[in-house]
Amino acid sequence: MHRNRFVLGLTGASLAFVLTSAIAGAAGQLTGAGSSFDFPFFSRAFYEYGKQHADVQVNYQSIGSGGGIQQFTAKTVDFGASDVPLNPNEMKAAQASNGDVVQVPVTLGGVVVAYNVQGVAGHLKLDQQTLAGIFLGKITNWNDPAIAKLNAGTTLPSQAIVVAHRADGSGTTYIFTDYLSKISPQWKSSVGTAKTVNWPAQSAIGAKGNEGVAGLIRQTPGAIGYVELAYASQNDISYASLKNSAGQFVLPTVDSVRMAASQKPNVSPDDYSIVDMGGAGSYPIAGYSWVMLWKNQSDANKGKQLVGLFRWLVTDGQTYATNVRYVGLPKNVQGEADRALASIKT
Amino acid sequence: MLALRQWWNGFMLVLAWLCAGLAAATLAIIVFYVIQRGAPALNGHFFLSVPTPVGVPGGGVANALIGSVEIIVMASLIAIPIGVMAGIYLALLGKGRLADAVRFFSDVLTGVPSIAIGIFAYTVVVVPQKHFSANSAGVALAVIMLPIIVRTTEEAVRLVNPAIREGALALGIESWKAILLVTVPCARAGIVTGALLGVARVAGESAPLLFTAFGNPVWSTNPNSPIAALPLIVFQYANSPYAEWQQIAWGGALALIVLVFVLNITARVLFPAKGYR
Repeated sequence: MHRNRFVLGLTGASLAFVLTSAIAGAAGQLTGAGSSFDFPFFSRAFYEYGKQHADVQVNYQSIGSGGGIQQFTAKTVDFGASDVPLNPNEMKAAQASNGDVVQVPVTLGGVVVAYNVQGVAGHLKLDQQTLAGIFLGKITNWNDPAIAKLNAGTTLPSQAIVVAHRADGSGTTYIFTDYLSKISPQWKSSVGTAKTVNWPAQSAIGAKGNEGVAGLIRQTPGAIGYVELAYASQNDISYASLKNSAGQFVLPTVDSVRMAASQKPNVSPDDYSIVDMGGAGSYPIAGYSWVMLWKNQSDANKGKQLVGLFRWLVTDGQTYATNVRYVGLPKNVQGEADRALASIKT
Repeated sequence: MLALRQWWNGFMLVLAWLCAGLAAATLAIIVFYVIQRGAPALNGHFFLSVPTPVGVPGGGVANALIGSVEIIVMASLIAIPIGVMAGIYLALLGKGRLADAVRFFSDVLTGVPSIAIGIFAYTVVVVPQKHFSANSAGVALAVIMLPIIVRTTEEAVRLVNPAIREGALALGIESWKAILLVTVPCARAGIVTGALLGVARVAGESAPLLFTAFGNPVWSTNPNSPIAALPLIVFQYANSPYAEWQQIAWGGALALIVLVFVLNITARVLFPAKGYR
């Protein structure tokens, strides 16, 4: 009967499918998730590493720093990535889940203040008070005298300011609000520093990921927001020159971020903030990004692959950082990262 | 009076035509737009290469195409046997409270948002297994397909003239054989249609895959590993700031639309409802 043949065929097909997929699955894969700030750098670097090491293929998904920490703690991924080290509560939860955590600085980047103002080409200048005023919702129009005073010679339209921010738990938000808290006592007391905050501006709209905020700014006239430098430059959106604590207006560039990092030679998971660094030519909103790994790797082979991958990433792999407008890790921080990796037991 | 009625009748007729035209035009506009934006992305790399990072040319979605097929096959292997048997039960055997409950629950299940089913699969499959996987995505999609298959199978089997089965029973055949060898083959067209519609329904789902299939930039067909899928690629790439990725996202959207169209048309044309409408 042809019906029986149909059933037989279906059973055979499913068997063959299960078998082939079991064979094809033999090659090792490492899975990671987290920071969207890291994503352009990681996707490039892991791609190149995979070409050199056919046995190590890395799957990194950009789901935001908060999501990365959560999935790492739930042990659904092999490593997490976040633009801010674990806070004490997150650390407690992670330790309860799988013991000690090793945190490794992997890259360095700048957060740019990007905007979409009709008829304004070039870089607007913003000082501390004006920037805080805009994000606090006190400055609500682009033709506000505070902005106009800093940008003599630029014709600013009468256009409402729309604050674009991250909707997901984000290390980029942490770095940006860390900076706002440093420069504005009112921000510090009323909003604070965190991966998600209550945005005080009435016009605030959220979007997911650096990519989402970049898209939102590009599509919304009058928008201002904060994104990782690589996303702003890839997107052709305008961004501001910010006044640093040395009183200079500085554009976010690889050099100005490196200058900021050089003001603080030693970083650790407990002392990592490099926003609002003084010093000539240093850009005020910068931060390291971190990878989280379990200190005790249950799968020795996977543990060795992870350590090998990140040892490469924090040294030779840094060349790919500059390719996508990230800043290579300073030498001493590379040493710090290597020491952290050496403590992993496989 | 008559003139007014005729006028009113004509007016409503035109209005109905307009609305029907608008409904069809919406689909036409979407399809036209997706073809216009997506067609330039369809080249050899698109179908044969795996994704590349930004700035490295020649990326494609080959792994996502295979991944989507794999997930859909897994979902079908789970949902079709269960759904078809449950549908047969409802049509021929089920009476009283249990049957009513099954019918009610499958109707409610049809309306459960797919993201909720994704979180369900994450909690019951991904978290205990400690990794994202193709099979968890298969489970999520199977749950979405199940009620569609149950209800279409029930309808199809119900439409088979009971006299045929009674004739078989009168000749002394066992009841289960009469159902499996006489009634079900008569309803085959309807059952296959239901299964194809179920597949078409889940083929474009992205929400339940976010926390199950997870996505994967490298080749993988391992059911226990994270896997790429077309809707995930569209979601991720359409959100990206890079023009080349947005282009691939449009191509992926076009591929999905073509896939769903082919399934729907196959379901409606190849099995034109012998005793099933």
